[in-house]
Amino acid sequence: MSDHDSDEQHGFHRHGDNAFVAEFSESEREVLINLVEQIIELLGERTDNHVDDPLAAMVGITTHDSPPEDEVLLRLLPNAYADQVDAAEFRRYTESTLRAKKYGHSMSMRITLKSAIDGIIEVDHDGANDWLGAMNDIRLALGVRLKVEQTSHEELELLAPDDPMRGVYAVYSWLGWLQESLIVALMDEAI
Amino acid sequence: MVKVDEKIEEAIKEIFNSEKPWITIVWDDPVNLMTYVTYVLMELFGYSREKAHELMMKVHTEGKAVVSTGSREEMEHDVARLHEFGLWATLQRGDQAI
Repeated sequence: MSDHDSDEQHGFHRHGDNAFVAEFSESEREVLINLVEQIIELLGERTDNHVDDPLAAMVGITTHDSPPEDEVLLRLLPNAYADQVDAAEFRRYTESTLRAKKYGHSMSMRITLKSAIDGIIEVDHDGANDWLGAMNDIRLALGVRLKVEQTSHEELELLAPDDPMRGVYAVYSWLGWLQESLIVALMDEAI
Repeated sequence: MVKVDEKIEEAIKEIFNSEKPWITIVWDDPVNLMTYVTYVLMELFGYSREKAHELMMKVHTEGKAVVSTGSREEMEHDVARLHEFGLWATLQRGDQAI
């Protein structure tokens, strides 16, 4: 896990009982839309190969019982059991639901961003949870690409200016800070 | 007295063991923010901020923590919800070594 210091930026703040507001510049909004759309696309790549049984298709049973080969997708749709047989069985019955939930979080975040007026977005508690889930999925995806498992914070801070990963790390850090600001706003309510 | 074969005895033990509670484990992850893990545990399980914080710290310092116990079905539900929010979670029988 990582910890985060806030800085001079705005982020989310609470507005009354059940509203969380943030203001984004046009470029920030574009970056967020771009990222969330990539998650939506990625989740869509793992389409259901429904078994030849309409009932199975209806209740969401798919032929996916092996974990995704793509490292990012595997982090978004992880195994529920250490045991491979149990993990495969669980995945067969639940993966399409998990994908639908994640898709829902990302779509909710995308819609809020698309309908922002003057860069201001407002979400309620449920919308905030969608945003947290979606932002977290983006950070998990970027984290895999940045190899945060194997690389120290210090090494990432010291990436060369011409290293494309430096920009990715900046976005990753900014998202962490944004996510943190929303959690702080939500926790205020939870006291 | 009836002498029960060791293997049968084992099998019987297994049957009763399966009645033992299952557990949901959350594993440490360098991406998930500490506050986020705390928030998700409060939100999904209705834990107090203190309890959620304590569990999060256990994950952070020990690499893992048991966050809920119950039937296999209940734990599968918990793991699915934790995965929905991107926490790295697995379930297993409570008497199994973690």
